[in-house]
Amino acid sequence: MSNQEQYAQIFMDIFGVDESELNENFNFKDVDSWDSLTHLTLIGELEAAFDVMFETDDILRYGGYLNGIEILKKYGVEF
Amino acid sequence: MFLNIDRQNSSSIALIDNDGNRLTYGELAELMHLVGAQVVPRSLIFMLCKNTAGSMAGYLGFVEHDAVPVTLNARIDQELLSDLMSIYKPAYIWTPTEECARFEYEKIYERLGYALLKTGNEIYPLHEQLQLCMTTSGSTGSPKLVRYKRGNLEANARNVAIAFGWTKEERPICDLGMQYTMGLNVINTHLYVGATVLLTTYNLMSSDFWDYIKKERGTNFTGVPFSYDIFYRLHFDRMDLPDLRTLSQGGGKLTDARFRQLAEYAEKTGKRFIPSFGTTETSARMACLPAELSLTKTGSIGMAIPEGELFLIDENGRVLTDPKAEGEMCCRGPNVTMGYAVCREDLQKGDEFGGEYHTGDLARRDEDGCYYVTGRLSRFLKLLSYRVSLDQSERLIQQEFGIECACAGTDLRMNIYITDAKRRAEVLDFIASKTGLYKNLFKVFVVPEIIRNDSGKIRYKEMDAIYAG
Repeated sequence: MSNQEQYAQIFMDIFGVDESELNENFNFKDVDSWDSLTHLTLIGELEAAFDVMFETDDILRYGGYLNGIEILKKYGVEF
Repeated sequence: MFLNIDRQNSSSIALIDNDGNRLTYGELAELMHLVGAQVVPRSLIFMLCKNTAGSMAGYLGFVEHDAVPVTLNARIDQELLSDLMSIYKPAYIWTPTEECARFEYEKIYERLGYALLKTGNEIYPLHEQLQLCMTTSGSTGSPKLVRYKRGNLEANARNVAIAFGWTKEERPICDLGMQYTMGLNVINTHLYVGATVLLTTYNLMSSDFWDYIKKERGTNFTGVPFSYDIFYRLHFDRMDLPDLRTLSQGGGKLTDARFRQLAEYAEKTGKRFIPSFGTTETSARMACLPAELSLTKTGSIGMAIPEGELFLIDENGRVLTDPKAEGEMCCRGPNVTMGYAVCREDLQKGDEFGGEYHTGDLARRDEDGCYYVTGRLSRFLKLLSYRVSLDQSERLIQQEFGIECACAGTDLRMNIYITDAKRRAEVLDFIASKTGLYKNLFKVFVVPEIIRNDSGKIRYKEMDAIYAG
């Protein structure tokens, strides 16, 4: 599985959505089920899957599907 | 006036929310009259709560004008809401304006992002002492309510304020939902002393939350164990939070490791860590541990708050008089509510608890009179601090799928045992959606049989030991 596929899969599993919904509108202000629990789970799953350890600021600013990709790139994950 | 709102300095700020509202005590008192005057006294009102000034103005105004709010989460599952509506037939709904579309009722008033809808349901008699209702195991879709009597909320506000030493200088960060007993208690307690309540709907894991509490100089925070999991995930102990003086906790048990970590953090930074304990049936808090004992009494919930009394009973209901003892924890005091309701008629019932509540929790008392919760008599879990009934979860699954099922587990995860392998995924989806909780709080095990004893009772502990150990 490519990093992109793996990344999308984590979101689909946690939020129970189809890949077609994962776009620029998929962020925690607009997605009802994106609360602190799903956020904590998401961060944990991403760290495990991509073997990274996020800084506090990046956890706090991890506010959307697309901007998350930019954050992961900072940690050397290629998309 | 309710909570003495009119006795505070009318120009000090009472409520701030993250929509930018700032209300002084004077404005709040006026608003309570305006909103309260829209409803008929002794009518039942469903409140879809959010931690905002509009939601609070409704709650305070309705209570002040002698109507009876039922506090519900604004994000309540539609099916549960419909059930509750058909059982309790409220005369009004106080809802965030953006949720109005969920209903087809007439809007009769609007203020601060909230709307009052008139349902047209006939107003029916409520017990004279009834002041407010809250859901209990609401997360398993149960329509059971706890009935609060006059005086409960104020007694708890007053006594918790004394126990915690709150003054009007406090600026509490209120992130726990106001529909939830402890969330409401944090707010009431601080309004009672004339403090400035910082309401927030921000997610603890967003920069908005941390920016807000820094900007508004929050002085105390009350969290459930999960809140502190998040705090540590964010390395909050490395953050510069000079205004934050007190951390309090309730809503389930912290691990001993986390308890020590918080006590040591408080010691090192000159802050206070105050664990507490309460239930919906006792208007939130009945006990708290004085901050100076948090380093030495790991895991303790402390002692009864003023005007209250904690005691232990054995399995025959006898009070245990030895200083050191273990038994079912019970509580007496003006914060004990009047009983439950499962139907409309129950709202006419009088005080069934009579000032005494048996918690169903097992506790031990040490030689200094400090209490420690050690286990539980009744079958429920606290998943992320939400009380989830195991028996009810079992019944829901049996009814939905017509299969054998047993629910057990710990506060970290419910274990669901079924014998029909084909239903595994559906059962998981179903229970997560019914409880509104995330799937990884449940695990479904397909087992050859549900283990029972000779009289047919399920042997839950044995099943957990064999399959989930």
